[in-house]
Amino acid sequence: MRNLTSETENRAIAALALLPSFAILLVLVALPTFSVALYSLQDVQMGEAAHPFVGFENFLWAWNYAPFWNALNNTLVWVFGSVSLEMVIGVAVALMLNRNFVGRGIARAVVFAPYLIPTVVAVLVWRYMFHDVLGVVNYFLLKAGLIETPVNWLSSPRVAMTTVIIVGVWKFFPFVVLAILGVLQAIPQDQYEAAKIDGASEWQQFWRITLPHLMPIFLLTALLRSIWTFHKFDIIYLLTGGGPVGSTTTLPVLVYQKAFADFEIGRAAALALITAFVLTLLLLLYFYLSKQVEARQ
Amino acid sequence: MADLELRQISKQFDRQFAVKDVNLHVQDGELVVLLGPSGCGKSTLMRLIAGLESPTQGQVLIGGQDKTPLRPKDRNVALVFQSYALYPHLSIYENIAFPLRVRGVPSKTVDAKVMWAARLLDIERLLQRKPRHTSGGERQRTALARSLVRDPAVFLLDEPLSNLDAKMRHAAREELRSFQHQVKATWIHVTHDQTEAMGLGDRIVVMDKGRVRQIGTPGEIYRYPADTFVATFVGSPPMNLIAMDDHILGFRPESCLPTAYFENEIDLFKVAFRLQRAEYLGNETLLYAIADAPLPSTKMIARIPSTLRLDVAQGERYEFAVRRSDLRYFGTDELGAHIDRHLDAIRA
Repeated sequence: MRNLTSETENRAIAALALLPSFAILLVLVALPTFSVALYSLQDVQMGEAAHPFVGFENFLWAWNYAPFWNALNNTLVWVFGSVSLEMVIGVAVALMLNRNFVGRGIARAVVFAPYLIPTVVAVLVWRYMFHDVLGVVNYFLLKAGLIETPVNWLSSPRVAMTTVIIVGVWKFFPFVVLAILGVLQAIPQDQYEAAKIDGASEWQQFWRITLPHLMPIFLLTALLRSIWTFHKFDIIYLLTGGGPVGSTTTLPVLVYQKAFADFEIGRAAALALITAFVLTLLLLLYFYLSKQVEARQ
Repeated sequence: MADLELRQISKQFDRQFAVKDVNLHVQDGELVVLLGPSGCGKSTLMRLIAGLESPTQGQVLIGGQDKTPLRPKDRNVALVFQSYALYPHLSIYENIAFPLRVRGVPSKTVDAKVMWAARLLDIERLLQRKPRHTSGGERQRTALARSLVRDPAVFLLDEPLSNLDAKMRHAAREELRSFQHQVKATWIHVTHDQTEAMGLGDRIVVMDKGRVRQIGTPGEIYRYPADTFVATFVGSPPMNLIAMDDHILGFRPESCLPTAYFENEIDLFKVAFRLQRAEYLGNETLLYAIADAPLPSTKMIARIPSTLRLDVAQGERYEFAVRRSDLRYFGTDELGAHIDRHLDAIRA
């Protein structure tokens, strides 16, 4: 009997200890999510008291709303462009930093700097550097003879997405370096020594040992970066505000514009839910993969 | 297969000698064990042979050819690592095939070689598994198979049994030995376990602090240790060492027996001692004692087989004997360090 009592007591204490976290999650996550879901089924205009239910009309509207498809397209370009470049550069830099050379400590610190600089500060500096007339980027490119006329980095609809991706990659490739470097350092040295004795060249050692070791974490990192890039808002909004002519408007930016520029909360909520749905799919894939990886270790 | 010769090999790391002035000639098909405590330079010496390190001085000759400047892959040596160093993402089959694959050997030849090695080591049923789904012993066989497929001139094994539990180790030792006979390999085996060295080696190289202390057959090493280090490192419990006026006297614990045992033999050396503790081990009894006058008071051990019925009591004085032919004499120049080590070994 005594054991039973203490078991009940333990459960009570555990529940009590979890209560604050539960309350915080409820107020900050569950309630807002629920209200967004509710809004998406209503016609909510900022400043109007009445919120009539309209069923799935907001979703139907999104389906027929050209800027939504444009934003979805932009988001895919933004995610794919950023993440693929981040992964390639991140892995290359990690491989470099994993070698022994003089000043490696300093090189590591420098590489990680972009990740630590606040986004607002970094973006303001980049905007200045990308300025078509005063910017240092055009200055050097002109000087080197790579371009003949200044590039409108931020004001040309054809170039702006590239510019945004460059800044995003610059900011976030250090994360990939960090993840990959961790794996590289965990690969047992004797595998390389065994391979050397068995006759493998440097190149074969990379393909047959390094790469297979990297693969699981490489995939997980790419997926994680995709999720984070998908809902990234600050870099794009601060650099271009979604322009010019909607050329860098991704889904999160569109949601923001609908809600806080057009004050159409109901429609914005519907767009947000669609975005969340795509993210959930990616997240499920991530959990599935990480379970696979865990099972293999 | 080929013979292996080390000429005056030294290796320095930051002014510290890891290996100093090692000369060794391993015959074609011979199994030589490098034995010594951790940090004695035996693993470094093996890495020098493999080409993973290059010597500060000296030459490595395989089959009479100087291989010192060559890279590991051009020396035709095989190394089995302590950790086995299997590739976790490859199946057992592909692990064994690895040395052939990187050399671009045609698949048909690879398959024939892998199957041959797998059959020899009895791991055919494991070929499709990943290393993580195999036992320690099976991984060791896989590592051996991988080293075998290339027909190496010399096999190098770095503590290959240390990852196996005690029960398996004995069986694995047998298997290694018969495997070595079967493939007639020139074989360098590194270990810190003196029982393993005694049981396995055609010859043993005892190393300490980067230097070779003695090279000899297990019998020579055990019966005629070259110095007090070898005397105490090989044998468990170690050889008793007693500091006399101008030399150190040594005798093995099992050669010190009750005088009655020797019956009418005359060439005996009397050993008197006071018994401190008797340890009954089933097949034998270890007597921990202090040597008594006329010998200087020194810790010693006598090892009595259980077939000799013996009644002893703690604190009593006994007089045992050792055949004079079983006595060993060492110089006193290294007395301090080795007597200390000897005593530590006794206490442990």
